[in-house]
Amino acid sequence: MSDLQARGHEDWLDDVAVYALGAMPMQDAQRVRAHIAACEICRREYALLQPAVGALAESAEAFTPGNGPIVASPELKARIMRTVRPERPGAATVPQTDAPVRRSVAPRERPILWPVYLVAAACLAIALISSISDIMLSGQLKQSQAELAQLRSRTNALASALADRQAAISDVLAAGAKHYPVDNGEVVRSGSRLYIAMYDLAAPPRGHVYQAWTLPKGSKTMAPSLTFVPDAHGVAFVSLPAGAPETSAVAVSLEPEGGSKQPTTKPLIVVPLD
Amino acid sequence: MTEDAVVLMERVRKRDADAFEALYDAYHRLAYGLAMRMLGDASTAEDVTQAVFVKVWSSPELFRTGNFGAWIARVTRNRALDVIRSRTVRAETDLPQALPESESVEDTAFARIDRELVRSALASLPDEQRRPIEMGFFEGVTHQEIARRTSTPLGTVKTRIRSGLRKLRAQLEMTVTT
Repeated sequence: MSDLQARGHEDWLDDVAVYALGAMPMQDAQRVRAHIAACEICRREYALLQPAVGALAESAEAFTPGNGPIVASPELKARIMRTVRPERPGAATVPQTDAPVRRSVAPRERPILWPVYLVAAACLAIALISSISDIMLSGQLKQSQAELAQLRSRTNALASALADRQAAISDVLAAGAKHYPVDNGEVVRSGSRLYIAMYDLAAPPRGHVYQAWTLPKGSKTMAPSLTFVPDAHGVAFVSLPAGAPETSAVAVSLEPEGGSKQPTTKPLIVVPLD
Repeated sequence: MTEDAVVLMERVRKRDADAFEALYDAYHRLAYGLAMRMLGDASTAEDVTQAVFVKVWSSPELFRTGNFGAWIARVTRNRALDVIRSRTVRAETDLPQALPESESVEDTAFARIDRELVRSALASLPDEQRRPIEMGFFEGVTHQEIARRTSTPLGTVKTRIRSGLRKLRAQLEMTVTT
């Protein structure tokens, strides 16, 4: 390794420390996370520093603006426990008794008498106003409901995508994951899942994409998998749909946009899985 | 304590409120203390602590295994960062990343380490290393912001953070093994 390359990796290790501390801007963090997933040295450094960062929080427990110990109010626990133990079933909020319920009776007031035609006119006016408001409100309600449903659907999709992404990264960082290094990245097998993590990957020429391939066990023909392009930092992280137990090799090649049914260029990487 | 916490979390997954209460009693000072340190306001720190523990109850599957204290600290820090974000008008690029909550801290060597030991290990670091670590972790600023505030080159800040964290790790290891 040249001095320049060594220095380059020292920079990565410094970035890993900043990432472990949680002080990296969000967009850079993504790049470092992908690198950690693909680089054994940086993964070791991260595993070394992460517990020290975890311990940092313990020092805050003793922090006091004045001199007294930090204490949360007792109401806090009560509030939280109300969420956990809302109302016990069977616990009546109204006292129950076999005795007949006695209601206090207010002295009866003398009723106000309205002429019948005035009552009828008022009822008609109220009915008319109510019908018009109903029609308007109903329209607004339908529109709001549609917007809400759309928003909810988008939020769910985003939350699901984020959860998938986090789960994938946890998989790659898991102690039992098997890593198959290649130039600028690696293929990772974690449980029954397969991932490709690449960094410093050149952007494909215009009209082209990278395509992943998987070789099903017992087959001699590569099956087409996902197409992808690296981000602006040259990082690509791909979760393959094929299951690891059924796959004997993974490859990546450069293909025309839209992907190919069979590799049309020499694969950049071919990784046999044992 | 960590082993206990793992067992308690298994019971929380089965909706055991007593187990949850035991976890609250053992860890709320950690969450509240961290939130106070980051936000400097008791009422908001309580809100954050409440959000954290309600999350423990509503999504216990987010904690897989490992060091529960480190996990709860991450969740708390992330919630406190949300508050800091909502308070400031900083550009998105100036905001630090959230710590991954679904990733377990496998190393339990420092689980529930005595806070005084951590404080003294932190205090033993040279100021130039301790300060950026504290700013990055407790003040919710990026290394770029630390560089600006301390008028230090970016690369130097990063190297000092790394050296400081390595020293901190070594100090804590010495403390734990002696």
